[in-house]
Order: sequence, then structure tokens, then C-alpha cells
Amino acid sequence: MSGEVRVYGGWRDDLGLRVIPSKRIGKDVYEVFIGPQHPGSGHMRIIIRVDGDVIVEADPDIGYVHRTMEKLGEIRGWIKPIPLFERMAIHDACNITLPYVRAVEKLMGVEAPLRAKYLRVLLCEINRIASHLYGFAIFSIFLGHSTMYMWAMGDREVFIQLAEELTGARLTHSYPIPGGVRRDIPQGFPDMARRAVRYMRKRLEEYRKMFLENPVIRSRLEGVGVIPKNLAAELGLVGPNARGSGIAYDVRIIEPYEVYDELDFEVPVYTEGDALARTYVRVEEIAQSLRIIEQVVDWLEKKPREPIVDESIYKKYPPLHKKILESQGRAKLLPWMATMKVPAGAAIGRGETGRGEIIYYVESDGGVNPYRVRIVTPSARNVIAFKYALPGHRVMDLPAIYGSLDYFPPEADR
Amino acid sequence: MAPRVGLRSLEKRRTLIDGVRSNIHVLMLGVKYFVNPRRMTLVYPREYPKLSEGYRGFIILKKEKCISCAACARICPSAAMKMIRVQEPDPKHPGKAKMKQYPVINYQRCIFCGYCVDVCPTEALYHVNYHDIVYDNLADMFWDLETFQREPEYKTAAEGRPVRIVIHEELGLVKVPVEDKA
Ligand code: SF4
Ligand code: SF4
Repeated sequence: MSGEVRVYGGWRDDLGLRVIPSKRIGKDVYEVFIGPQHPGSGHMRIIIRVDGDVIVEADPDIGYVHRTMEKLGEIRGWIKPIPLFERMAIHDACNITLPYVRAVEKLMGVEAPLRAKYLRVLLCEINRIASHLYGFAIFSIFLGHSTMYMWAMGDREVFIQLAEELTGARLTHSYPIPGGVRRDIPQGFPDMARRAVRYMRKRLEEYRKMFLENPVIRSRLEGVGVIPKNLAAELGLVGPNARGSGIAYDVRIIEPYEVYDELDFEVPVYTEGDALARTYVRVEEIAQSLRIIEQVVDWLEKKPREPIVDESIYKKYPPLHKKILESQGRAKLLPWMATMKVPAGAAIGRGETGRGEIIYYVESDGGVNPYRVRIVTPSARNVIAFKYALPGHRVMDLPAIYGSLDYFPPEADR
Repeated sequence: MAPRVGLRSLEKRRTLIDGVRSNIHVLMLGVKYFVNPRRMTLVYPREYPKLSEGYRGFIILKKEKCISCAACARICPSAAMKMIRVQEPDPKHPGKAKMKQYPVINYQRCIFCGYCVDVCPTEALYHVNYHDIVYDNLADMFWDLETFQREPEYKTAAEGRPVRIVIHEELGLVKVPVEDKA
């Protein structure tokens, strides 16, 4: 390597890539390793260089929870990777597996019936709220606001309870399957969901008072970690982080999937680009998800029950399976699904998880296993923001910026 | 009706008066919860949550229904379920034995995805609605064919009081005692 290549300064462009320079290295800088054991760093390490108390450079060092998701996805059939991919972000399980399922559906040429689509959206939005509340809780405890931490974690439990009633599991629901979903809503679910929605609305008002408008919190977040719009676009940020910087990008709007184009909701976009704006995006998104849940639950209650799996699968159901679907609302799997072959081809699945856009590229060579499953998770795309949002701030701002980016290492490392 | 983008912006950096006012709001909220706390503590194991019927807990085999199709073992994502071969008296030829296959489960590996229960063509597998069972050693978590047919003893239920966790409009999650101890 030649002496001029500056790894940390960001000038290194031996691949011919245009590299966005971060701050220059000053003379008397110390290198501080935040993590991976630091309680506030998650399963990652941020290497910062500080000049006095001011961060001049930051390098996110990822890969501590790499679990070879993509490779494991190639060796266990088509339906078994669903519980596996959930492990990338277990509190966002439906959002993170749905695009994979949709990609496989495209290859198989099946489509979920309308009712199943509504059910998927229902669980996706429950997951989105739970995921935002989880991020919110972690964020608050980063800032030392333990009240908000307890509140958010406690209120997340309401939505986990809803998901449990719907799917039978608290977190790893394994709910969508190619061609439909696994369960219909149980008795009394719509009322339960409505109660949860009304409860959460009131709580959001209290969150506003306790956290968002709290002068201490505001002075720690306002103008901190600003990512301008053009930088956010250049870095390719997704999800609430992009929307906090004024980029109106949400897969639910750009390329509506399932039944999102039939629902009435707003995608909040803030232009400030600082930690506070990102926080407001998430809180607003919770409010919008509550609206979606209400609409979906109304629809599910009004419409008569119908099979929640694709016609072609339902046709093959023996009488016992049909009976169980009718009496218990449980869509059974068929034995051939374990070792099914999927026609050769390639398909892309996109979806908006709580943290942003996730993309699956699924390729089949006509065999019993996927030939390739490429996963690009939102956290993997957002992690680069650390490098550009941190420099210039004091070390005490690091937790605030980290928390506001809602970065989730297991999802990024896959 | 369609989704749309809602462009918003934050309010400007506020004055001192606003700061004082929000501080008072926060304090009032604190006082409200100090006087009227909303706690929900489950005194486990003296109380335990009675989970809904659809809960995906431990899996039990009804051997007489099993047709030895091995679908459950094939679909298991974590290879927790395996087929074993056992000798059984043949009903058609008295006095003779025949080999039959049955599933057994390794609860060290099971992730409670419920695929096996959903794939079984004869409903020979079912979930019980509890999962909090402790084992002294790992070897006990390999269930043989005998264990697999018995619902495990739910010790928590013997000692604790069942409560049902419900969502309340004002209080969030609340626990309601369950009378029948089943
Ligand atoms: S619940 Fe899932 S992991 Fe457990 S034995 Fe059944 S299929 Fe395997
Ligand atoms: S799927 Fe059901 S019938 Fe088939 S081997 Fe397993 S338990 Fe027996």
C-alpha cells in the first residue's frame, strides 16, 4: 500500500469509487473504542477518534453477530428459512420475513388471498409499533431517561400480547407462508386490538409530555447528529432515518405491497435531519400504524371468513384440514411443502420494516433449496450514517445519535 | 383512500417560558402517576399467566393417530424432530412384530415454530399452552417416545394462581384472576 492512501480520512478510492470524505484527522487525537462490550453499544464497536472531547472521526466496526444467514438460507428448503430469517430482528418478525415470502410466492406463481393480505398487514403494523417502542426504549435509556425506558418497554408488551393472541408466539411468529398466512384472527381479537389502539393513543400524548417536549431531552437532541438531505441520499439511508432528513421514501408508498394502497395513512417526513426529527418520525409512525390497525381490524371483522391460503393450495387440502381451518382458523401446511421444488427463476422482494427498506433477491435453479438468497437489511444500509453523523459532536452526544439512528446490529450483520 | 406523504417540520427552538411550561407538564405527569400508580407486576411463580388456547407451547404426540409419514421430521427447521424405529406387535399377524416409525423430539433444539403441528396430516401432534418448564439436565430435554406422549407436569400450575393477561383501554395490560384451575 502506498503511503498516501488514507484509510480513515475517507480518500481511499482504489476501486474507483467516489468516497465521501469525513473529517480530517487532527494532530493530537486519541482513539477510543466504544464497544463491543460497552452496555450502550449493542453488538458492535464504534471506533472514535477524539480531539479533547470532540469526535473528529468515527468508524462503525460491525460483524460481531454475523450468523451467515444468506448461506444458511441455501441449505434448508424454501419454507424453513422463514423462522431463520426472523432471527435477524425478532421483534420485527413479520416485516422482515414477508418480503422473502413474497419473493418465493412470485417464483411459485401463487398469491395470498385478500384476507391473508390484510392479516399480514395487521401483524406487520403490530410489529412496526413494537419495534419502534423497543428502539424508543433503548434510545431513552441511552439518554438516561429511565422512565421512558420503562414506559416504552411496558407498552410494547401490549402489542406483543396482541401478536401472541394472533399467532401463538410472542416474538418469532413465523406467520406468513408462501401462499397465505398461518392463522386467522381468534374470537374477540378486533375488540382487543381496538382497546390497544385507544390505549396507545393516550399514551402517545403522555410520551409527548414526558419525553418529546421535555426540555432536557430537547436540548440533547435538537440539532444533534444532523444528516442533511443530500448526504442522506448519497449514503443511501432508508427508513425513518431517511424520512427524518426530508426524503419521502417508504416502500409502502413507492411500491405498495399487500393491501397498503387501499389503506388510509400518512408517511411522516421531517426535514430537519437531526436526532429529534428522527425521533418524531418514529412517534408519528406509531400513530399512523395505529390507524392502519383500526382499518384492517374493521375490514377483517366485516368481511366473511375465507380461506387464508392460495386457491391452488386450498384445493389440495384434505377434508380434515378444511375443517380445522373453519373451526380453529388455523391454516395447516401440506407435507410436500417441506421438500417442495420451486420453478427456476429469480425474484426480488421488497418491504418496509420498522427500520427501513429490506430487499431479498431470491434465485432458484428449480431445486428443493434456494440457489441464492441475498438479503440487504435496513440496518446494514443505515450503519454508514455513524461515520458522517458523529464527527463534530462531543462524546456525550454519541448515545443520543446512536439511539436516534435505531441501529440494530443482528439485523445489519445477518 | 391511499397512503400519502405527510411533510412536517418541528417547532422552532422554544423560549424559556415554553421550557418552564413543559417542565411543569412533566412534573404533573409524575405526580399523577405517583398518586395513582399503574403497576402491573406478575408475581411469578405465585401467579402465572394462563395463556390462550392457541399458544404454541410444548408439543405432544398422540401416538394412536400417527401414520408414520415423517412429514413433521422433514419440515422441522431446526432438526429437533427425528423419526425412530420401534418394534410393535403387528395387529394383522398376532405373535409377530413389525417395525414402525414414530417421531421423537429434542427440546434443546426446538424453536416452537409449530410447523410440525401444522404439517401433521392427522393432527397427531398438538401444543399445550404452557412453556415454562425447567430441566435439571440437558439429557432430560431429549424426549423418548414415552415422554413424548405425556403432557409434561406443569409444576408452576401446582404452586401458583393462574391469571389471565388482558388489554385494558385505560391501564394497558392488566391481570385478571382465573377461577377454574385447569
Ligand atoms: S415446533 Fe418447530 S422446531 Fe419444534 S419440533 Fe416442531 S417443527 Fe421442529
Ligand atoms: S406428521 Fe404426524 S402422522 Fe406424520 S409422522 Fe409426524 S406425527 Fe406422525
